[in-house]
Amino acid sequence: MKAILVDVTRCTGCEKCVAACLDSKDIDPAQAANDRVASRDGLSARRLMAVEPIGSERFARKACMHCNDASCVSACLVGGLTKSPEGPVVYDSQKCIGCRYCMLACPFHVPRYEWEKNTPLVRKCDMCIDRLGQNLEPACVAACPNGALMSGERWSLIAEANLRIAKKPDVYIDHVWGETEFGGTSVIYVSDIDLEELGWGKTQSNSIPSLTNPLIEKTPFIGGGVAASLLAVNWVIKRRMKLAKEQTKSNTNSPPNSTGEEI
Amino acid sequence: MSRTVRHIKDILWVVALFGLVAAVFRMWFGLGATTNLSDGMPWGLWKVFNMIAGVALSTSGFTIGLLVYVLKLERFRPYVKPAILIAFLGYGCSCTALLFDIGLPHRFWHPILMWNEHSFLFEVFWCVLLYFNVTAIELAPALLERFRTEKVIKWLHRIAFGVVVTGISLSSLHHSSLGSLFLVTPTRLHPLWYSSMLPVLFILSAIGAGLMTVILVRIVYARLYDPNPVFGANEFSIDGQSCVIENPLHGVQPDKVTGPEMTNLSILARIAATVLGIYLLAKLIDLSAAGGWQHLLNGTWESWLLIGELAMTAIIPVLLVAIPWSQRSPYGLAVAAASAIGGLVLNRLNVGIFGFIWDAHEVYFPSLAEWAVGLGVIAAAGLIFIYLSENFSIFSKDCTSQRETDPDIKPSFDTLAQVWITAWSDPLPRVSLIAVAVIPLAWILMYPPFVSGQATDKVAPSSGVDALRTVLLIDGDSHGFACEFPHVDHQNRMGREASCVSCHHASLPNDHSTPCSRCHAHMLEPTDIFDHSGHFGFAASKESITGFRPENRSCVVCHEAGQPKEASRAKSCMDCHETDIWVHEVPAPGLNPALACGFHQAMHGRCIECHVHEAKNSGREDLGECSTCHKSRRVGGAAHIAAR
Repeated sequence: MKAILVDVTRCTGCEKCVAACLDSKDIDPAQAANDRVASRDGLSARRLMAVEPIGSERFARKACMHCNDASCVSACLVGGLTKSPEGPVVYDSQKCIGCRYCMLACPFHVPRYEWEKNTPLVRKCDMCIDRLGQNLEPACVAACPNGALMSGERWSLIAEANLRIAKKPDVYIDHVWGETEFGGTSVIYVSDIDLEELGWGKTQSNSIPSLTNPLIEKTPFIGGGVAASLLAVNWVIKRRMKLAKEQTKSNTNSPPNSTGEEI
Repeated sequence: MSRTVRHIKDILWVVALFGLVAAVFRMWFGLGATTNLSDGMPWGLWKVFNMIAGVALSTSGFTIGLLVYVLKLERFRPYVKPAILIAFLGYGCSCTALLFDIGLPHRFWHPILMWNEHSFLFEVFWCVLLYFNVTAIELAPALLERFRTEKVIKWLHRIAFGVVVTGISLSSLHHSSLGSLFLVTPTRLHPLWYSSMLPVLFILSAIGAGLMTVILVRIVYARLYDPNPVFGANEFSIDGQSCVIENPLHGVQPDKVTGPEMTNLSILARIAATVLGIYLLAKLIDLSAAGGWQHLLNGTWESWLLIGELAMTAIIPVLLVAIPWSQRSPYGLAVAAASAIGGLVLNRLNVGIFGFIWDAHEVYFPSLAEWAVGLGVIAAAGLIFIYLSENFSIFSKDCTSQRETDPDIKPSFDTLAQVWITAWSDPLPRVSLIAVAVIPLAWILMYPPFVSGQATDKVAPSSGVDALRTVLLIDGDSHGFACEFPHVDHQNRMGREASCVSCHHASLPNDHSTPCSRCHAHMLEPTDIFDHSGHFGFAASKESITGFRPENRSCVVCHEAGQPKEASRAKSCMDCHETDIWVHEVPAPGLNPALACGFHQAMHGRCIECHVHEAKNSGREDLGECSTCHKSRRVGGAAHIAAR
């Protein structure tokens, strides 16, 4: 499973990765430049990745994290988002109905919508899955001049991240962001400052689908259980009404004229 | 038909027609042009208010079905038809609004074929789809009665119990799943509302408020059409002639104070209030378990929203139903029901919209078109409800057809005034008149190009200085006062485009371009370090340019002749340069200013191309790399450029 390692200490904020991303997706850079200002975090339907300043000291790449057990994948009602075996979470524009539940479900606020279009689609980074297929690095990784981005197998990148931390324990914070957060992501970060600004502030170690899956798996049983208990209650009530009717009949020997009031 | 009913219909038509125009605009221009939705707040009024709250208020269909068909409480039999009609129309208008909300409405059928059984939205879709059909089947007998379809009705009655049980089981699934939709937002939804108990809280509040909806609809219907069963005999004399004086169904002696149906309504209200009380208890227990009490009492606007929501949904209705006086009064029950309904809507808005604002860092308020569509579909459903309740046996067994118009206004075409009265009293011309008035108005108010033309008020940063933006405001230390800088003039004077580099290259960190004082020290520095040669040389070198005076080379321009040449005796710089330097509070009125091009933009827009070009030409490949200039990794670390 492919992944990307972001080394925050090496990023200078030159945005060559963003330029490469726009280039590889054939997006007009002038329009994307407007979105950089209009959008709070620099992401938009045209700017699928951004370089965010963290505090006044550092920059870091922000784009889809390609979670291993992604919230958007579990949320999409038509299965338009899938975690591909190569690593990226990919979007099928042919299935999408535009409900935007993925945008609500993503803990990193990543999926963006083409609001100004009449037939809008969700846009997000796909880790250049077409390039991965040709054994190339994602466009942003290939463009980084300072080695802040690195792509490879996820397990080897985690090893590399831990190696870097071990080599310079005085520089790095001893934490690999994305190793366990939200069930693990395929974009992982090492840094010398806290990454709260990137959406890493409010994290949890278990994935979001792990909150919903146990419940949704019970759905048929809940529905069946409700129906069965209704039938049971109804049967009991009917039987009691019948018994009461028979009792009145035997007691007074005259047919009762009301049935509904016995309960 | 009473006058009040007619006015209500008029209002509903106006709202519905507004909605129609807005719906056309939404389809034609797209979501972005007509709504205030954004990437930060992707779910808005249509989903949260129409879908999530609207469906929650339509629980009446299954709760009354549960009471009557399963628990055999026959006293509630008269409420079955209204409750099912409310459910049918509630689901219908929710789904209609949703059709406008989804980005690609022509693909609304996709979830039927494309499944993701891990998605709660998928479950909601299927349950709502099936349940909508269930309500249609349940409603069919009431509507088919007018036609000769006894066999179909008989068959429908035979399957009724099975249909009702299916409906209840589907409802219990999707009403809780509407809450489960928000389980995926543990880090985004405000902790006051996020809870793993959301599905339970949603279904409890929906059941309570759904029953309250039946009560409110029954009371309002009685108030408008047939007050006796609810309000008691002769409580009102309704204006208009057609109101039924005595309902044969309730021929028994009417209660002195209220009508005979009030007994049933107050029992229903007690059931609803009990459910709402349980809801309140569950919410408070859940809040304590999650340690949310400090959030509740810390006085943020979210905490006030939650307190208001709980008061409206549960506390007020429970109190009103608990007090015997208000429990027996139709008005007391109506207020309790309206409060519960309002509280439920507020709860859904809180969970779906307000609870996300703290995380999205942006405020969402629906656009006029969103309000128009959202309320318009409800108004349309209201019109259908009124039509069906007037023409079909929804509220009573006999077909209380009250189609005759006011007898005192007879159709007549003698004078213009009477033509007008005729048109105004006949439903079809009346609606046409309303449409003629409302549609153009709605068109003008909501036409997206017009609306968006007013709304785009964002300050665009200058990407390169153009001729139109002749004045830049420079507020280097961000102290709120800016200096007007005639950028184009300066550029022309210094040698046009080639001169950019003289200010925008030798830049300093954390300053967005070379400060003016770097060159203009003689103008801006305090006089005791006045750059005499600079002033002298500058004045001399610019002789040819209009506005520069060669005589400024003379000492006596600033220093009085015959006096010691001291700073204290010199003229103040501002005496001469008052008109050169404008200082304004930002933004200066009457200007057409642009923000100065930032250092980053200036560098990246102008330097990089040249650097990359030179890197190819000169063979110095490192010239094109970012790290050539960005030696330091600090923001503004390009200081090293100047040093090199």
